[in-house]
Amino acid sequence: MGAIRVTLTGSQEAWIENYRGILEYSENLILLQGKTCQVCFEGSRLTIDYYTNEDMKISGCICCVKYL
Amino acid sequence: MIEVLRYIRGYLRIRVSGFSPERFINLCGNRGILLSNIVRQGDAYEMDINLNAFWTLRPIVRKTGTRVAVLKRYGLPFFLPKLLKRKMFAGGLVFAVAFWFWSSFFVWDIELAGNSRITEDVFLSFLKEKQVLIGMRKETLDIEELEKEIRRQFPEITWASARLEGTRLKIDIKENDAPILREEEKAEAGHDLLSQYGGTIVSIIVRSGVPMVTAGDEVEEGAVLVEGKVPVYNEDKTVREYIYVDADADILLEHSLVFSEKLPLDHVEKEYTGREKRRYYLRFGDREWKMPQDRPFLVYDSVIRESRSLLFEKLSVPFYTGTYTYREYQNKEYEYKQEEAEALLKEKFLSFLSSLEEKGVQIIEKDVTININGGFWVISGELKVWEPVGKSAATEKTVIGDKEHDG
Repeated sequence: MGAIRVTLTGSQEAWIENYRGILEYSENLILLQGKTCQVCFEGSRLTIDYYTNEDMKISGCICCVKYL
Repeated sequence: MIEVLRYIRGYLRIRVSGFSPERFINLCGNRGILLSNIVRQGDAYEMDINLNAFWTLRPIVRKTGTRVAVLKRYGLPFFLPKLLKRKMFAGGLVFAVAFWFWSSFFVWDIELAGNSRITEDVFLSFLKEKQVLIGMRKETLDIEELEKEIRRQFPEITWASARLEGTRLKIDIKENDAPILREEEKAEAGHDLLSQYGGTIVSIIVRSGVPMVTAGDEVEEGAVLVEGKVPVYNEDKTVREYIYVDADADILLEHSLVFSEKLPLDHVEKEYTGREKRRYYLRFGDREWKMPQDRPFLVYDSVIRESRSLLFEKLSVPFYTGTYTYREYQNKEYEYKQEEAEALLKEKFLSFLSSLEEKGVQIIEKDVTININGGFWVISGELKVWEPVGKSAATEKTVIGDKEHDG
């Protein structure tokens, strides 16, 4: 419980739920803070379509998802 | 739908720069502020935010030490004041919508379909008489009454349907192809068949009633051919009672018909000189604007051509353009040649014959002559014909004793 939930559609879109906040955001990297770990999305032309307390959507060309 | 709602409520494109823009985004998220289209531009972030949420940003900005700049405004709250500043445009828009709404209360076009014998002009003048006009208010139009009026006025119309489609009144009619037969009302049984002409009976087949003549008999005009009074006899051969019936029979009568038709020796024909003048006009409903013009020629006739562009036709706008073409001519007197006169008179005679044949008349003999008489070509002829006869008339009632029976 409390784990971050990531839903990927191909490599273009990702829906993320159950996170705490954004730690870092650039065109090539988005780093999110979860309750138990951090998740890092790497790629190019990364944008955040929407951001709320509940969920967010990332789109762009995602090439790597890392759990830190 | 969400986009439309967003547009109505209004939203802003803002740029967030400073020490920790990520913290700004997180705090917005925590306070339930929706951020969308977040894009990193150099050291700053650009994002969309609702107009209402924008006014609650001040504490977050202070806390995170960031700076917020408005890049662009979108939505109705920004568009409306701008629109209201342009008074003429706003007025025009309101006027156009109001005019469009107001004009939808009127009939702007009348379309007639299904007519073949009744011309459109005749029908439109009938509608005019009944105050059904282009430009009338829809609510004053009683469609059911109009349909009834159409059927009452034109007995040859067997079916009429009128309906309003938008601002167009569509009238569909169906004409009767068969000739109209008016059933004579026979309140009481007991009808004789009378002869319409004097002549000789050729054949008689009786279906009901008592025949008063046989084939070969000479009859006068108005003579009773079949009686609608059938006697019932007692054993002593006296009449006990009469049963009254409607006489029905096929009777052929041979009689003579005289045909005569005249044609003047000379006639006037138009000879066009080839000179033409045109005059253009515009018409809106019943109002017409013509190009000014004097009397074009001394003697002339005119041809009117009218058209409506497809746009106006589809929009049911009664706006027409047209031309009057005046053609000059001279009246020339011609005398009929014998062959021409004979051909014309024969044509008249043949149409008379065909009208007889339509009535079921058989022509047995014909004797026709064409000659000049008193400044006219005259065709005269005597025809011997076999014609179906039998005109219905009420039977004379006979009273036997105190009793009278109707059949």
